[in-house]
Amino acid sequence: MSWLRRTVIWLALGAGLLAPIAVLGVYAFSQRWFYPALLPPEWTASTFVRQLTRPETGTALLNSSLIALLVSLLALLVGYPAARALELGQLPAKGLIYALLFVPTVVPTVATGIGLNILFLRLGLAGTRLGVALVHLVPVLPYAVFTLGGVFAAYDPTYEAQARVLGASRWMIWRRVTLPLLLPGLVVTALFAFLISWSQYVLTFLIGGGQLVTLPTLLFTTVPGGNQATTAALALVFVAPLFVVIALTARYLAGSRVRGGELLLQ
Amino acid sequence: MTIIDINNIHKHYAATPVLTAITLQVAAGELLALLGPSGSGKSTLLKLIAGLERPDSGDICFDGTSVLALPAERREAVLMFQSAYLFPFLTVAENIAFGLRARRTPQAKIRAEVQRMLELVELPGIEKRYPHQLSGGQQQRVALARALVIQPRVLLLDEPLSNLDPAIRATLQSVIRRIQREFKITTLLVTHDLSEAIGLSDRTAILLDGRIVACAAPEQLFQRPPNRTAAEFVGVGAIISGTLAGDQLQTAHGPLTVAVRSPAARPLTCAIRPEHLYLSTAAQPNSLPVQVHERIFRGEYVEYTLAAGADQWRAKVFQETERYVPGATVFAVLPPEHLFELAGPPHE
Repeated sequence: MSWLRRTVIWLALGAGLLAPIAVLGVYAFSQRWFYPALLPPEWTASTFVRQLTRPETGTALLNSSLIALLVSLLALLVGYPAARALELGQLPAKGLIYALLFVPTVVPTVATGIGLNILFLRLGLAGTRLGVALVHLVPVLPYAVFTLGGVFAAYDPTYEAQARVLGASRWMIWRRVTLPLLLPGLVVTALFAFLISWSQYVLTFLIGGGQLVTLPTLLFTTVPGGNQATTAALALVFVAPLFVVIALTARYLAGSRVRGGELLLQ
Repeated sequence: MTIIDINNIHKHYAATPVLTAITLQVAAGELLALLGPSGSGKSTLLKLIAGLERPDSGDICFDGTSVLALPAERREAVLMFQSAYLFPFLTVAENIAFGLRARRTPQAKIRAEVQRMLELVELPGIEKRYPHQLSGGQQQRVALARALVIQPRVLLLDEPLSNLDPAIRATLQSVIRRIQREFKITTLLVTHDLSEAIGLSDRTAILLDGRIVACAAPEQLFQRPPNRTAAEFVGVGAIISGTLAGDQLQTAHGPLTVAVRSPAARPLTCAIRPEHLYLSTAAQPNSLPVQVHERIFRGEYVEYTLAAGADQWRAKVFQETERYVPGATVFAVLPPEHLFELAGPPHE
């Protein structure tokens, strides 16, 4: 009966996770689909192609990608030393620091956004990709530090000491020992940062000042137009790159499958 | 061949002293065991020598030159830990080659050295395997090869065998001893196992609460521990104090003849090993009355615990001719030639 159970589980997973996206697909390629028709009477790819080839879509895709990549990089650069110090340094009040880290996620985004908008205007960062990436770090960093904290909690720095007494320089230790041992955790952290940045709307809108178009801002300006096929087509453009990113990092998500992961469990 | 000079080392963490006034010399090519319970500071001493930590005061010299200014990566003192710490994403060959890579050794030489090392630790042909495909004993052998391939000046072993099965442990002990003799590499071995220290080392130092309480050749340390603390650590049958006049020791339990002489009366503490103390139903020369407390069958011998007044003594009987029951009063015979003098506690 195990095949039955497996089938049921896969169906449930599929229905829960993939069905909403399938509906988007149906909408994006439908034409003149009105109540009470169960399925679209006509199919067309023209809506989708039109949305895909709009210059705004290209700009938004580029902006979103560049910002999300920059956010991932910055999250690692800031989160790595923070998490290492929190977990491997003998810091007092570790729990309190973690709690404080999460405060920005509790404060309403609008409040943070408007406050930072004034500051960023003065600094000349408003409306720039760098400015938007920096403001995305507000919701990203707590999760990045927390994820990396878990990575470092399971990390044994004795490997570094072992490499050192064998004569390795600091750079060689980092490049040949630390980085390979931590790579799965770093990739997962970068993925989370990418995903959070990718779906930011309010902060992008406030700091970008409407001049900087990303996929979410483009999507939000399209929705009031009322054309469901257009909205669905754009939503697919929004979702598709995420699938690619997740597929590329999937082997790191199953941490124990990574070569050598066994040793980390010791 | 490097001489290690450890001179008056002090080290503390926060307010806790870990090492106090450690002075120790390790001769070139010698294997010195640091024996002590956990928390005695022995691992810290190895880290100080390796350069992974700095002492608060004191000096460490290799061949007469201080190495404190040298960072760990240039000290050529390789430390091996309890676990092998093989890099999990590298093959056995790449692991062994690690130290040579750091020294930019040519590829052809690396390959030859890796081969030679694997033969030395009796694991030829496993170059391409990954650490997780090896047993614990094999992992430690590879770790040993990785440490030796760079021909370090000093080898520091921090209980590298304590996680292994007794049988594998015994084999690896002889492997370590053989290679250490062959390379004539100055070695410090940290262990909490008395028999490992005695069986492997040229000299053994006992470390207790961050101080060296005794340092001597294993046989001497075992047969004639120099002071009470060391005697208690290596396990003696009885420690007896009294006043010595001539060769007579007046003790709380009765008079004893001892091998030391003193014309003027002076206090004396002496001890005897449990295998040298024997029991008899009748009083004999140099015997003291004791009460049998417990008889424990240990396989190779029978151990008696005895009550001598408030003191507890132990006797190991290897050929039991007579069996004594708990509660019986018997005589413990202490042959004078086996009674040795204990110095007062050191550092006082």
